[in-house]
Amino acid sequence: MSGVTITFVEPDGTEKIIEDAVVGESLMNVAKDNGVEGIWGDCGGGCACGTCHVYVDEKWQDVVGKPDDIEEMTLDMVTEAQQDNSRLCCQIQVSPELDGVRLTVVPAE
Amino acid sequence: MTTQETQAPTSSGCPFTGRQKVALEETSLTDPIIQANPRDFYWTMRTEDPVHYDEKLGMWLVTRYDDIVKVLREPLLFSDKQGYEAQYASGFFEEFKQILESQGGGYFPDVIKSDPPEHTRIRKLMDGAFSAHRVKTLEPGITRIIADLVDQIADKADKGEVIDGVREFAIPLTISVICEQLGIDQFNGEKISRWSEAITAQIGRMQNREEMVENAKEICDLQNFITEQMQDREVDPKEDMISDLVHAELDDGSKLTFGEAVSLVRALIIAGNDTTATAITNLLLILATQPELAQELYDNVEDDKYLNRFVEELLRFAPPVRGLAKMATEDTELGGQQLPKGAHLLVMYASGNDDEEKFECPRQFDMGRKNLGSHVAFGVGVHRCIGASLARMEIKVAAKELIKKVHNIQLTVPVAELKYQKTVATHAIEALPITFTKR
Ligand code: HEM
Ligand code: FES
Repeated sequence: MSGVTITFVEPDGTEKIIEDAVVGESLMNVAKDNGVEGIWGDCGGGCACGTCHVYVDEKWQDVVGKPDDIEEMTLDMVTEAQQDNSRLCCQIQVSPELDGVRLTVVPAE
Repeated sequence: MTTQETQAPTSSGCPFTGRQKVALEETSLTDPIIQANPRDFYWTMRTEDPVHYDEKLGMWLVTRYDDIVKVLREPLLFSDKQGYEAQYASGFFEEFKQILESQGGGYFPDVIKSDPPEHTRIRKLMDGAFSAHRVKTLEPGITRIIADLVDQIADKADKGEVIDGVREFAIPLTISVICEQLGIDQFNGEKISRWSEAITAQIGRMQNREEMVENAKEICDLQNFITEQMQDREVDPKEDMISDLVHAELDDGSKLTFGEAVSLVRALIIAGNDTTATAITNLLLILATQPELAQELYDNVEDDKYLNRFVEELLRFAPPVRGLAKMATEDTELGGQQLPKGAHLLVMYASGNDDEEKFECPRQFDMGRKNLGSHVAFGVGVHRCIGASLARMEIKVAAKELIKKVHNIQLTVPVAELKYQKTVATHAIEALPITFTKR
């Protein structure tokens, strides 16, 4: 099966287009494997550190879905930058429906 | 949502800070007065000499938030492994090692305190076990342990007895929780507490030789205990974390060596005890000294978001870990300071959390602050605390169960008389005598 295409917009505006994301991987791992700037993923996907924060492009919000309660709590800690379309990308798994999704990296600290 | 610690007005725009300059040349982090009350020292360093050489310690103290993050984000330039090894049993290392080899089954370096890529390989194995989602499933069990303990001390306090918040609540609490996680059902809490202190002392830089020998023996005892537990799981695997580690297979198909596994079980037994217990002691202290905050907590006790913010601000305001070591692997520059290869750094997390350039009015307990989650009490980067979600849960449940059941928490000695553990690594109160009544 061919890979899924994911676009990350890095903090300096650079678009990083990843065309071979594997279904089932977390978007945080995809970003780290491809050296996306600003995604640190300190806690290894544990939903504990908030260093994998992204804004989901508006038209993709329904497909990507909302954070659950636990993710919501961690997002609440990064209130400075939290928005309606905030997600922690370690909590999103690559799926065929996400083909073409566009995410903007929100740097931590 | 804000309360103040001191009452001295200043010109900085913050209503309260009360900072006082310290003469840096004459001061060391190891001085007893500074040990108890380090904030003015941190502040003076941040303003005058942000990467300050502490002669007595022979270490560079990294005090500004931005520099701390920079160090922690460059794990190859600032090696955790080398920094930790140079700190460990400092001054007595060879003798320490011999004691462990002759009586403790061997000297097993901490594999988790390694640098990438070795560190990445080990860390992947551990992250899943402590994810926020996994910890959420532990909430009922943790609540049961804590509610029992609260009942015990509440009964005692209700008879008018003084409670030591450290030995009678915070320490037994964290030990019970971690033992349940690891699958250790028979344990001696006092022993585990001594083991924790013995390990912490190895990175504390303030033990003398006699204390080192005592501590080394405790660590032998700990390792022998761990070995027994592991051998038990070798033959009879159980559904617990020791079994997981004993039988773990890494990403590359390899297995942990015996020594690596001992070091990981040891890290898990120890790393979260004193640290989380200190946070819970600080919780008691703040409830005892800021009654209006205690009332506010009570009024919001069913609001999970409030509780999470409360815990996070508590960790920023009173971080348990003071400073951990790293070492420069090349000549470099940090915060305007030239550092030679081999420079031994102490990353002052506690100073970062108190940095006014990052946190507005840092001496105010303000859980409404916008950058609440940017504190560095759990570190930053690849070594960021594995147990953060577990620690947060323990502190949250402790706050909740306590405030629901007791009130009028009062300290029976002046704050200025509290004693702290002798170590540069943590900022831990030794005993917290309190009284309170049942609601
Ligand atoms: C409030 C309680 C706690 C605090 C303040 C705390 C703080 C820290 C800090 C500052 C670090 C080092 C970060 C660095 O090197 O920059 C750390 C690492 C670590 N912590 Fe915690 N910790 C706490 C609770 C726990 C708990 C409950 C556990 C165990 C389940 C734990 C296990 C660890 C381990 C294994 C490491 C090493 C991680 C690595 O080097 O990759 N901690 N912690
Ligand atoms: S990697 Fe830590 S929250 Fe996503």
